[in-house]
Amino acid sequence: MTGSSMTLDQILVEALALMFLYSTPYLFAALGEVFAQRSGVLNLGVEGIMLMGAFSGIYVISSKGLGQEPMVGLLVAMLVGGLMGLAMAVVSVTFKAEQGISGIGFTLFGLGLSSLLFKSLAGGVITAQGEGFQAVTIPILSDLPVIGKIFFQQNVLVYVAFALVPISVWILNRTTWGLQIRAVGQNPAAADAMGVNVDRVRYSTVILGGVLAGIAGASLSIAVTPIFQENMTAGRGFIAVALVYFGGWSPWRVMAGALLFAIANNLQIWAQILDVQIVGQSIPPNLLIMAPYILTIAVLVFARQRKRLEPAALTKPFMRGEN
Amino acid sequence: MSRKFLALILILLLSLCVAGLSSAQDGPVRVAIILPSSTTDLSWSQALYDAAVAVQTEMGGEEAVEIAVSENTWDVTAAADAMRGYAEEGYNIVIAHGTQYGSSLFELASEFPDTSFAWGTSSDAGMDAGLTNVFAYDVRAQQGGYINGCMAGLLTESGVIGVVGPVPAGDAILYNNGFEQGVNACNPAAEVLVAYTGSFGDTALAAETANTQIAAGADVLTGSAQQVPGAIDAIEAAGGYWFSTDVDQAPNWPETVVASMAYDFSGVIEDIIAKRASGVNGGTAYELNLEDGVTMVYNEALEGVPAEVWEAGRQAEADIRSGVVYPLAVLPEEPFRIAIVMPSATTDLAWSQAGYDALVEIQQQLGGEDAVEIAYTEGMFDVTAAAEALRGYAEDGYDLVIAHGTQYGTSLFELAPDYPETAFAWGTATDTGVDQGLTNIYAYEAGAEQGGYVNGVMAAMLSEAGTIGIVGPVPAGDALLYINGFQQGVLATNPDANILLAYTGSFGDTALAAETANTQISAGADVLTGSAQQVPGAIDAVQAVGGYWFGTQSDQSGNWPETVVASQVYNWTPVVGSMIENVLKGTLGGEAFNLTLNNGGLEIVYGGVEVPQEIIDAANAAIAGIQSGEIVVQQELPEA
Repeated sequence: MTGSSMTLDQILVEALALMFLYSTPYLFAALGEVFAQRSGVLNLGVEGIMLMGAFSGIYVISSKGLGQEPMVGLLVAMLVGGLMGLAMAVVSVTFKAEQGISGIGFTLFGLGLSSLLFKSLAGGVITAQGEGFQAVTIPILSDLPVIGKIFFQQNVLVYVAFALVPISVWILNRTTWGLQIRAVGQNPAAADAMGVNVDRVRYSTVILGGVLAGIAGASLSIAVTPIFQENMTAGRGFIAVALVYFGGWSPWRVMAGALLFAIANNLQIWAQILDVQIVGQSIPPNLLIMAPYILTIAVLVFARQRKRLEPAALTKPFMRGEN
Repeated sequence: MSRKFLALILILLLSLCVAGLSSAQDGPVRVAIILPSSTTDLSWSQALYDAAVAVQTEMGGEEAVEIAVSENTWDVTAAADAMRGYAEEGYNIVIAHGTQYGSSLFELASEFPDTSFAWGTSSDAGMDAGLTNVFAYDVRAQQGGYINGCMAGLLTESGVIGVVGPVPAGDAILYNNGFEQGVNACNPAAEVLVAYTGSFGDTALAAETANTQIAAGADVLTGSAQQVPGAIDAIEAAGGYWFSTDVDQAPNWPETVVASMAYDFSGVIEDIIAKRASGVNGGTAYELNLEDGVTMVYNEALEGVPAEVWEAGRQAEADIRSGVVYPLAVLPEEPFRIAIVMPSATTDLAWSQAGYDALVEIQQQLGGEDAVEIAYTEGMFDVTAAAEALRGYAEDGYDLVIAHGTQYGTSLFELAPDYPETAFAWGTATDTGVDQGLTNIYAYEAGAEQGGYVNGVMAAMLSEAGTIGIVGPVPAGDALLYINGFQQGVLATNPDANILLAYTGSFGDTALAAETANTQISAGADVLTGSAQQVPGAIDAVQAVGGYWFGTQSDQSGNWPETVVASQVYNWTPVVGSMIENVLKGTLGGEAFNLTLNNGGLEIVYGGVEVPQEIIDAANAAIAGIQSGEIVVQQELPEA
């Protein structure tokens, strides 16, 4: 049985709408990671922070948990993310631990703790259907053909995520704080000499990254997929880190990467469910599942690399007098 | 100093003694379980863990059974480490709950011969590898998949059904394959959208997949692995329905889950413990199926589901249990090509039609002409011409070539060695050519004497004259079995009955069959039966005098509803299904199949005649007696 009765443009509208929805968690996490990395800190703990954000967010709002408003859940997830970001900053900035390793450590910590809390507090699957952020239908605009469905029938976190892109660009390029972030990422010794407190700036970005990773996790559990299961982020935190490299540390390009990855993944699902064939043969599902990753790697390899924005001091802890 | 030293040694020795004594006592059975996902996955892992806990509770708690669990051990290397650890720590039974653990399990099993190892899904208990301490368990997940699929097919309003799979492997692929067949069988017009997430635990991706399928129009979904809560939530939000597997998920989503196929592994675990207690460490391959270990749970409290959906589900379950329906474990990736050569027409209401109908039915079940291609040559009473046709099909590269007649056997045995890549089948026969070194021939026969007996019982009760006619073709093959069984049934019911038996010497001479029937009617027969494609002539003759007819091979009531009381119907579908399944798995022959009342291959189908209840009761009693073995129907008549 092959072929749905949907036309190609109908499929594309659905796929594009789903693309914006499912790119949201990536976007939050990746934007947070952009800030951390632009200041010189590689945070591989995003995955673990997302998991903690996802669990705490849904636990707060679900009737199986505390039964609070979605906004409260989001705030708790931000707080949890911020605290984990603070812990990551203590380890990587103050104690100058190897960033890659400590990040992995935080990921495993987040995975273990969220699973433990999930089992001990909830005992089983938590769902939050109807309790989380619902899709907001924007009057008039949502009735527009094609773009109404794609752009104007999403939940509030989707709008926030995409609004954060220009805001991030503005912060990084137009504010003093942004200048300091870029300075400590490029040449912490020079920034230090100019009187910038390198550690304080890095603390601020890593905590911000944690907050955004917490939102990313919560966006998954209380907006995009209102449910929690153990390890529900399933590697999305690492995809977010990859997207930062993919996007060459520019929020706009990171967004493009998140959209590309999301659309590629959604289209492979369409290819599977419509049983798309090549020369009369169904494509093996394993091949389709790999496709978004292969595409991402291919783009990474072949796209002209913009080293211009790469923070020179990335992964290097700052020690006064040594750098 | 030396006294202190001695005292120390004494204490040491004493404690060793105590330790030795305590280990000599019967401690708890120590069971270690390796799970690919978590014990709360609402799925595969949870099903086994719950079973282990149930066994523990039943046997007397932690003092009787100690359970250790390694969950989320998807990684095969980590699982191997865990298994070794448990074996070294002296666990009695190590269960590796995943097909992927097989090779490491076999290595460990030879190292730790006193430990019992179990794994699934698999049917390989390591006997071929010389191991005596391995248990294997298989699940026929396609059975529950079929039932769910059938119900889903009838329930969908949009005609679009989504399947959210984890990876195309293990019990998930079996379930999905069965599900697709169920949809095909009950609603061929419905579209099944299958997508795999590539993960077991990615709840969000499962939700995305489900939402994509919903966007593509799906209103009924199914799926497996611990990721499914995301998908169930998505379909619940969309107001659709969900079908579950592995565990009953209705308690969590009572408004959405229609039916669940639930595994119960406790029987397997109990049996392993019992076997060990009797000194047997392995060697059994278990199978969980609807008869044992697989339960269908229907959430009938769910409102809005039409009654016909529940009925269809229960009917499908009954049909699978009785063997009438056979869901395949594997589906053909490219069209499976079957060719059949038949002695008469596909519409002969008898032998050839029964064979051809089975092919058409399995074609629909597997997904229509895109899945199964059928070629046939009918009317091949000439054996030489049939041999040419068979060779032609083999030459054309058909996957399965069926010679549907005993008379084709000789040519088939000459042909088969020339085409070792082609699977052949013939019947009625029991010889697969293994003695001659042939490995690509299946044989099939029908235990026609069983239904013959049942028909005979009814005929004897229905005949007022006590005279019954039998129109036979030639005294051979399934016709002879049927006629012999029929006579036994008649005489068991009415020892004084007068049986008029005549053979026409032909299979297709309709006029001669009519003449034979008329002759028997003239001789006082008011109830008749007969076999082969010649019978329409005989049935017509019986109708003309207002008598009754009993059929065999196909349901013959269609054209003569007032005359045909009942027919023994050959259902070759499970046999054809088994052969296709074996060929897809790479086994091209070597098995002989038999249709019986027990395995669903034979069915008694009533026509339009109003039959007194006592006669139907007698027929049912005869069927039950044959099934239970109380009534033994001989294939040959005892010498009078």
